[in-house]
Amino acid sequence: MIRELLRRPEALLGGLLLLLIAGAALLAPVLSPGDPLAIAGRPLVRPFTDPAFPLGTDGLGRDLLAGVIHGVRTSAAIGLAAALVAVLAGMLVGTAAGFAGGLVDEALMRVVDAFQIVPGFLLALAFVSVTGPSLAVVAIAIALGAWTGPARLSRSRVLALREADFVAAARVMGMHPAEIALRQVMPLALPPVLAVTAVIVAGAILTESALSFLGLGDPNAVTWGGMIAEGRNQLRSAAYLSIIPGIALVLTVISIYLVGEALTDVLAGKRQS
Amino acid sequence: MLPSVSRRTLLGTAAALLASTALPRLARAAEGGRLVVAADSEPRQLNPAIVASNGVFFIASKVVEPLAEASYEGDGLRPLLATAWEGSDDGRTITFTLREGVTWHDGTPFTSADVAFSAMEVWKPLQNIGRSLFADLEAVDTPDDHTAVFRFSKPTPLQLIANALPVVSSVLPKHLYEGTDIAANPANGALVGTGPFTWGEYRPGEYYLLKRNPAYWNAGEPHLEEIVFRVLPDRAAAASSLEAGEIQLAAFSAVPLADLARIAGVPGLEVVTKGYEALTYQLVVEINHRNEYLRNLKVRQAIAHAIDKRYVLDAIFLGYAEEATGPVPKNAPAFYTGDVTTYGFDVEKAKALLDEAGFPAGPDGVRFRLNLLPAPYFNETRQFGDYLRQALAAIGIDATIVANDSAGHQKAVYTDHAFDLAIAPTVFRGDPAISTTILVRSGIPAGVPFSNQGGYVSPALDALVDEALVTLDPAKRVELYDEFQRLVTADLPLINVADWSFTSVASDKVENIATNPRWAVSNWADVGLEE
Repeated sequence: MIRELLRRPEALLGGLLLLLIAGAALLAPVLSPGDPLAIAGRPLVRPFTDPAFPLGTDGLGRDLLAGVIHGVRTSAAIGLAAALVAVLAGMLVGTAAGFAGGLVDEALMRVVDAFQIVPGFLLALAFVSVTGPSLAVVAIAIALGAWTGPARLSRSRVLALREADFVAAARVMGMHPAEIALRQVMPLALPPVLAVTAVIVAGAILTESALSFLGLGDPNAVTWGGMIAEGRNQLRSAAYLSIIPGIALVLTVISIYLVGEALTDVLAGKRQS
Repeated sequence: MLPSVSRRTLLGTAAALLASTALPRLARAAEGGRLVVAADSEPRQLNPAIVASNGVFFIASKVVEPLAEASYEGDGLRPLLATAWEGSDDGRTITFTLREGVTWHDGTPFTSADVAFSAMEVWKPLQNIGRSLFADLEAVDTPDDHTAVFRFSKPTPLQLIANALPVVSSVLPKHLYEGTDIAANPANGALVGTGPFTWGEYRPGEYYLLKRNPAYWNAGEPHLEEIVFRVLPDRAAAASSLEAGEIQLAAFSAVPLADLARIAGVPGLEVVTKGYEALTYQLVVEINHRNEYLRNLKVRQAIAHAIDKRYVLDAIFLGYAEEATGPVPKNAPAFYTGDVTTYGFDVEKAKALLDEAGFPAGPDGVRFRLNLLPAPYFNETRQFGDYLRQALAAIGIDATIVANDSAGHQKAVYTDHAFDLAIAPTVFRGDPAISTTILVRSGIPAGVPFSNQGGYVSPALDALVDEALVTLDPAKRVELYDEFQRLVTADLPLINVADWSFTSVASDKVENIATNPRWAVSNWADVGLEE
């Protein structure tokens, strides 16, 4: 599968970018030690003018490069955590609904409908404004709007699988229905869900940035959305304050999306002509 | 065949159509006499007699007038609806002589009954500031139509009431409000006053329109035909609208400080820093004295020493502010004293103080942890929150910022007391007794915003505040408030960091800007537009 992926130029490009970004996230404490929010120098040093601050400093004299590097960690942590919660919750609900069928299915799917009609971003906004912003809350808030996709996908897959022969065999062997659902059926429903995970991660990173932009991110962590929002007031006189974290955000989301798309294609067995 | 329509012309036409339906009145208003002003908020309650705040005055003060306005000349007051005021020797009565020949916008004559009604039914029971300022007001006598005698149950200094007049004394028409639910009266939405401008119309999210009052008592004023307050909540929009000539004035620092240097260079626009002297905001670190660390004076002193005020002025206020030495700002020369305890920026001294207080640094360099709630109302308060967190980290105090929206912040700090440190933009209103002593006086019930909710109790300070409140001799009052500043800076119930006011950016066609120290919230009767 990896070889298949490597044959696609867009996947290669995305993968390289993603590797770079992941490296930055992992090595952040080495690349820029100390608190990225610390006041490091004069305020508003322009990018590429001072070797000590390659990307310049913001209005309070905080190093922009440190912000961008540590911002990866926040974005990645939130993106992965939100996706994990969304996929787990979605798979459980979807499998339960598909496997149990009948009234349970109806009830669970109406709950999914209820979550699906409310725009995910609004849901996240409301949740964060009520509970107060912190990294964990933001991750859960984003997952609230993202778990319905995995739930629907896994349900449809489980519906097809539950009549399969191996399920009937397991039943005959006397396995508990819950065990069949979780151990026999759910793993087989995983691939299609995994394929959309990349999109969920990319979406979560964007949503987190949007929340931070509106001032609903964790104020004690560096976030790209927060950096963009802070630079917005000086857009006309110091546009680089918003542009630099903006570029970081765009590159991250694009690389995840490219890899995710390629992965979906490969999993679906499609070949490029 | 359809004529070919490019996307650009289509968009242009659509935008023009949209604009013409949104602003029908503006399109045919008289040319030359219309001043368009940026407004960044739409207050829910627009009645200045009930909500005495700058956001309300900005629009409402052009329609509803107070008894007197602040002035750069003489004793600092210019008579408006009152022409003279005099206190009795025992301090229990103040007699106002009211202006004759003034009519309300609906034609009814203005009399002392309106003043008596406003004082007893609105300022005293309903107004945010009047509730405490007029707490001792027993009655208002009206011996004739142009005399109002305020009777107080305790001696009340004339100096205090006079200093407060521009803020607390917006007069409402009795004939429209009597016998109604004052807070819900329809006249609160379409104001009726005696001012130079009459109420025109309000479109939520779009604009407020005020029109010239042809029957204004000061003949020859106002000079403007109309004032339009365009709602522009986005600060970047105010600057570009000024450059495009769509608005002629942006007050209250609607143009971000960081943009001022660039805007000052645009031909046809000028940056004005005058006109806000009586609207000084104070950047204050509020302290919860219930906290086991902050209860210790040495810790409070250490925090004061950890703040580099110079840096705060340069980086956050970009020079548009002054270092604060105490609870009274320098631009209130009548009350200010520099003879107080000061705290220079000295990280080593701060660390030594914390060591002395018995809070040594742990293995990770952290002495103790606090939470920090910056008020969300201003960019500057939020940025100072980010700065203070770093300044505290430098002396080994780990502060966690808790971000709330406005309502959440007020509840957390002033009702639930769920804070260790908070950052507040308090306002100095010309006299320490109006809204400054309340910041440190004990015994204020929970829920009163911008008051001492940090649990600070100092019997000496309380006694001083109470004595000053019934001291009639102005010179003696000033002495007491000097002592007040010394006590506050010595014991640090709160830490004053900076005093800042605002800037206006205006087209150079606007005449008579900043003609008094509360200019942005005064009545603008003398403002004109050059052809």
